[in-house]
Amino acid sequence: MTTVAEKASVWERELLLTGCQAVSHAVKLADVDVIAAYPIRPYTEVMDQLSQLIADGELDAEYIIADSEHSQFEIVKHASSVGARAFGGSSGTGWMYGMEALVVTATDRLPPLFLVGNRALDDPGAFGVEHNDAMSIRDMGWLICWSSTAQEALEHVFIGYRIAEDKRVRMPMALAMDGGFLTHAQHMVKVPTLEAVKEFLPPYDLGDRVLHPDNPISVAPQVNEDWVIELRRQNWEAARRARKVIKEAYQEFNAIFGAHGSEYGNPYFTEFMTEDADVVLIGIGAVCMPTQTAVRRMREKGHKVGYVNLRWFRPFPTEELRECLGRFKAVGVIDRDFSHGSPDNGGILMNDVRACLYPLRDRPNVINFIGGLGGRDISIDECINMYERAQEAGRGDLPEEIVSWTGLRE
Amino acid sequence: MIKRVEVQYRGVFQKTLGKYIGGDIVQIASRMGKVAFSNGRYSDAPERNGIPCKYFAFVSPDLSEEELEAECGSSLDIADVDVSVVVDDALAKGVEPWGWHGIRPVNEKVGNKACLLMVTRHDHEHLLKFTAKQPYPYRLATLEGDASLAGLWVYKDDLTRERCLGAVAAVDPNIISIEAVEEYLLDTTQDADRVRAAREAYDATLRRVKVVTPDQGIDWPHEVPVLPKWHEFEEGGVAVRGVERGFKLGPRGQNRNDGFLHGTSKTERPVVRFDLCIKCTLCWADCPDECFDPTDDGLYDINYDVCTGCHKCAEVCPVKECIVMVDELQFDHEKSPWEHHKKDPPGYVQWAEEKKGDTRIRYRHVTGQGFEKVKGTTVPVRIGGPGFETVKGTTPAKS
Repeated sequence: MTTVAEKASVWERELLLTGCQAVSHAVKLADVDVIAAYPIRPYTEVMDQLSQLIADGELDAEYIIADSEHSQFEIVKHASSVGARAFGGSSGTGWMYGMEALVVTATDRLPPLFLVGNRALDDPGAFGVEHNDAMSIRDMGWLICWSSTAQEALEHVFIGYRIAEDKRVRMPMALAMDGGFLTHAQHMVKVPTLEAVKEFLPPYDLGDRVLHPDNPISVAPQVNEDWVIELRRQNWEAARRARKVIKEAYQEFNAIFGAHGSEYGNPYFTEFMTEDADVVLIGIGAVCMPTQTAVRRMREKGHKVGYVNLRWFRPFPTEELRECLGRFKAVGVIDRDFSHGSPDNGGILMNDVRACLYPLRDRPNVINFIGGLGGRDISIDECINMYERAQEAGRGDLPEEIVSWTGLRE
Repeated sequence: MIKRVEVQYRGVFQKTLGKYIGGDIVQIASRMGKVAFSNGRYSDAPERNGIPCKYFAFVSPDLSEEELEAECGSSLDIADVDVSVVVDDALAKGVEPWGWHGIRPVNEKVGNKACLLMVTRHDHEHLLKFTAKQPYPYRLATLEGDASLAGLWVYKDDLTRERCLGAVAAVDPNIISIEAVEEYLLDTTQDADRVRAAREAYDATLRRVKVVTPDQGIDWPHEVPVLPKWHEFEEGGVAVRGVERGFKLGPRGQNRNDGFLHGTSKTERPVVRFDLCIKCTLCWADCPDECFDPTDDGLYDINYDVCTGCHKCAEVCPVKECIVMVDELQFDHEKSPWEHHKKDPPGYVQWAEEKKGDTRIRYRHVTGQGFEKVKGTTVPVRIGGPGFETVKGTTPAKS
């Protein structure tokens, strides 16, 4: 019998899809059982498209329209607990409104997948991208991963479910993508065959923890100080074990899809022209577009700069990033988020990166740029300016305040 | 090399059309072995009826997908457009995107030797009466047709999409070729009529391209608004001053928010025959944009700067032929029609009837059926009506 990898192609067809639509096609191929929907831009289109796929008879799934995000996430959580592969999603303040359900999905150790179409935390009515929504669950026991292309987002639905549902992990998965820049842009996307997806993604099996009349159990009974710390320790262990599972998942993904054009190196981040770089910038999501063009332009003038595009935020790739960033003289961290009152009033990513680098004896200088908030575009010129500042930091010329704002009217 | 296409469309009414044209260009270019992607100007959202919006397509024969994406994928608006497809010619009077930018010329982003392609029934000379001068030569192409307006969840399948693809191939074959357009349409629709529509539009457009020189067009003193720095406005967010309650009688008596005029949202504007007005107040009461100014003689003047051309007044007016919607490109100014009427009632009636012509637009475009044109009638001046209380009016010429 030939394996899928040996076949002529693992791709069924190429379609013009937005980032949201790409995810919906992946959800279909992942044979999701239960979908709960409540609209909020910019993630909504994934639900539009899924309801269309169901109406067209292409997908057989329960599609439940909730009365709010809180109910929506509860439905997803409960569906997951009865052994259904479940899908939900949201954006911005909608995501925050369902926070209670999000937190308990993690503590109940259930593995549904959510799409977070990143959106500013609203007031005054902003709907452009900011990463604070997805990052708000960073401490709760979630897997959080960003995609920067529609193709990557589609593939990470399979990768995400596989990691989340693994018995060693069983954590909910947030697949994030930048609102507007990725959710709404139309690209040609390769859609894999069902056969290839099935080979990669085993069925969801909760084992004896499945909530079913044939298996009478009580999930999440009342516990207090007598149990909780042990439960948290289990959670902690799962987040640690997830690293091994993530590695395996990408190896398996590469084995099936790698020969056909989709291959991942390091699961956690992609390095761009970093090999002989003196300084790098690191960021998350769509900002990789202008930064990489800036790198190319600066390289043409002989500047040794590179870019690190971070994919996985939780679990944070501590060892891998330490090894990677430790090679450079300075690291500029771009935050499309804010954390007012944090150490140095820096961004969330910067403080994580800096903490990660701290144990190094000879660590790079870290500076921080906050920008692109509320969906403002980060220009190529801004990126070049950030590189120049990083080069100054690389020469030991550190600014008085390591945090600065870019693209701000000042 | 990167080719940039923008589709300028009416928010909501033409959203699907704009997205389809952008997506089609990507798919056709991909079939030609090029790299392409498409997106919309995200800051246009949430779209409002008729507000000028943009969709983009980017095509490159030699860059990698990642390079093209890096160059074009993360900015909200673009400059140096190779082809700007304008699917409603009334956008020639200026586009005012959602907030802060003011009214800008439709050809603002059209680059040197690039092409402004308009779906229109007007000729080049007429369109240039509204279009801004550019410091360099560019091309103006016209594709004969009406604005294909539809609603939010409906799409008017009237071949505008296919014809625009054919026209784009005509004005810049380096983006998509007509052969590739034909092959794509045949492949995806199996409908020879669609292929034919694209080819015919291609042939017709080739004959209707003119070079616009820097002396052609109008002066357009457009200032980009300067927004305050972060420390220059009150903490706690942008506060917009409220509009005062109530109104004063008299011309321009209405209180409005001048921050956003809406006037560029219209494809047609209402023309009023004041002599027929019975002062029922319905237009004034039902206008969603408060563009009717109560005058001291009990009539309602129109402020076209804030009129969105929504048709509501024409719909509610109980008097036949009193308020009629007329193609926006027939008007070259936004002045008060009431003042015109007041100064010269017979002359105004004559002018209004000329503008109205002999067809009337029946507005059903939110249902996806577009609009239909029906025959209008010319109603004689109402003796004793406003402006004709003491004088005998002349009967307007049959148009």
